[in-house]
Amino acid sequence: MRHSDRDIRWLPGFNWVTLFFFLFLYLPLIILVVFSFNASRSATVWDGFSLQWYAKAFANDDIQRATKNSLIIAVFATINATTLATMAALALGRNRRVRRKQMFSGLIILPLMIPEIVTAVATLTFFAAIGLSLGLGNIIIAHTVFCIPFAYLPIRARLQGMDESLEAAARDLYSGKWATLRLVTLPLLMPGIISGAMLAFIISLDDFIITLMVAEAGSTTLPIYIYSLVRIGITPEVNAISTVLLGISIIIVTVSYLIGKKT
Amino acid sequence: MKTAVSIKNLNKIYSGVPPVQALRDATLDIRDNEFFTLLGPSGCGKTTLLRLIAGFEAPTGGSLHLFGEEISALPPESRPVNTVFQHYSLFPHMSVLENVAFGLRRLRKSEAKAHATAQEMLDLVHLSDFAARSPGQLSGGQQQRVALARALAPHPRVLLLDEPLSALDLKLRQSMRAELKRLQKETGITFVFVTHDQEEALAMSDRIAVMSQGEIQQVDNPARIYEFPENRFVAEFIGDANFFEARVGANEEGSANYHLFDGSKLHGPQGHAPEGATVTIFFRPEKARLAQTGLAGEVTEILYLGNNTDYLIRLDQGADVMVRSENHKDGTALAETGARVCVEVDPRAIRVLIP
Repeated sequence: MRHSDRDIRWLPGFNWVTLFFFLFLYLPLIILVVFSFNASRSATVWDGFSLQWYAKAFANDDIQRATKNSLIIAVFATINATTLATMAALALGRNRRVRRKQMFSGLIILPLMIPEIVTAVATLTFFAAIGLSLGLGNIIIAHTVFCIPFAYLPIRARLQGMDESLEAAARDLYSGKWATLRLVTLPLLMPGIISGAMLAFIISLDDFIITLMVAEAGSTTLPIYIYSLVRIGITPEVNAISTVLLGISIIIVTVSYLIGKKT
Repeated sequence: MKTAVSIKNLNKIYSGVPPVQALRDATLDIRDNEFFTLLGPSGCGKTTLLRLIAGFEAPTGGSLHLFGEEISALPPESRPVNTVFQHYSLFPHMSVLENVAFGLRRLRKSEAKAHATAQEMLDLVHLSDFAARSPGQLSGGQQQRVALARALAPHPRVLLLDEPLSALDLKLRQSMRAELKRLQKETGITFVFVTHDQEEALAMSDRIAVMSQGEIQQVDNPARIYEFPENRFVAEFIGDANFFEARVGANEEGSANYHLFDGSKLHGPQGHAPEGATVTIFFRPEKARLAQTGLAGEVTEILYLGNNTDYLIRLDQGADVMVRSENHKDGTALAETGARVCVEVDPRAIRVLIP
């Protein structure tokens, strides 16, 4: 009898399936990153190391414009969504007079489960119906809306783990409602708020479907521009921009994880 | 003597289905410079009463005065009262010193003054070396003392303590009792202390209010509470007691015979009940002793407690009695399980409860 036969946690073949799954998940990403440094135009044959595609990408006016749009949208959508999510979390988590907290909390998270294409069509129809035409403003509003649940989740989690008696202690020590919010509640909630903001930022930065529907001429964002490039043919330039986006995402997720872990 | 907290017919009903009456017609005067304890089992309303004084809850009826001023409408930040919370509730994002200085800063004391007073308070609780630490780096007992320093620093007129010792282990709890008593004496601040631990209450308090099911049962000093409880709840909750239903027999010169319903008879002081009435009488287990005469019975169980031994005795007439007795000087037991013994009760130890 082999040792592994007696281990009730061991099942035959599962290791290999898991390994295959990891390859499937990460191999395409690795290839994308590697060929962004390829010296030749080929996306399949390695021809030496080069940064030329990054240089080309950064010099491209269209890419610059799309990046600028994406960042403006992501920054404003993040600020709006995080502010609203924080207020909602405090209202639902701390206000004794609000009833049916579970239901409202569920309603905030529910959009996560609505197919994005449905939200996209609904948003487009809504904007058309009220005649809203603010250029980037339209996209910022749309992004704010779908970023709220992402920002809300970590903030609510943080608030639930916070002892309410800390706020009682602040009130007891001569702080009014607003001073308590400023001196105790918000500083303690900050790791959750930062996590929520970073999540919202990433979600906004790489959104495609809703942006495509809502964007007007001149409001092209980076994901939409990349898509238009890919339709012409995959070039290492696309690899280079994608790698930069990937890098930004990894940095933000890591920072958010570290902040969450520290406190 | 000045009254610090005056409570009249105070009620608190928590809305809900069904509504819960956490406090019913509480009337109580807490004196200035007194160590006052609210004692009772969980759910008796003691914490609700504390939260009403602190201002975290609003009463549904009655009045609440602090040194003559009606305060029930004031928010917690406007009451010159500070609280030591059960789980300390120190601000984790501030240093120990910042925690202690928090209230002083909020009262707009100058930075230098706040700093100096906070240091003084840390000295008072022997933690001046820990000023720069964060609360998370301290042990439970140290955090408890920081919480005390923080609540004492603004020099409140009344200090409220919500079971502050319950999270500490036994040895620490005992040393903190003396510490709290000392702090109360040194600062001259009125302490209102909430606990479910009767030993703690007896050891520390000037006076105790025993509470049960939202009502105040008795307010008295510790000795009176233990020796002369006014009802069965107080007698049962504080210490151990042997209860009997009895019929009052012939009175003679301030004393009376009590006929127990198992047929035996105890001699005790005359109560308010007339001859022939049915009353509840009781005595504490340490006020009876194993002797040659008295109520005869058999030892059924022995609980060795170190300094004392509890003997459970089944009387021949049927009732069970507990006798608490010191062991022999040489360390041997007074009786073995199964031994025939007699229980002698000093007539002065018999208490008659008002039904």
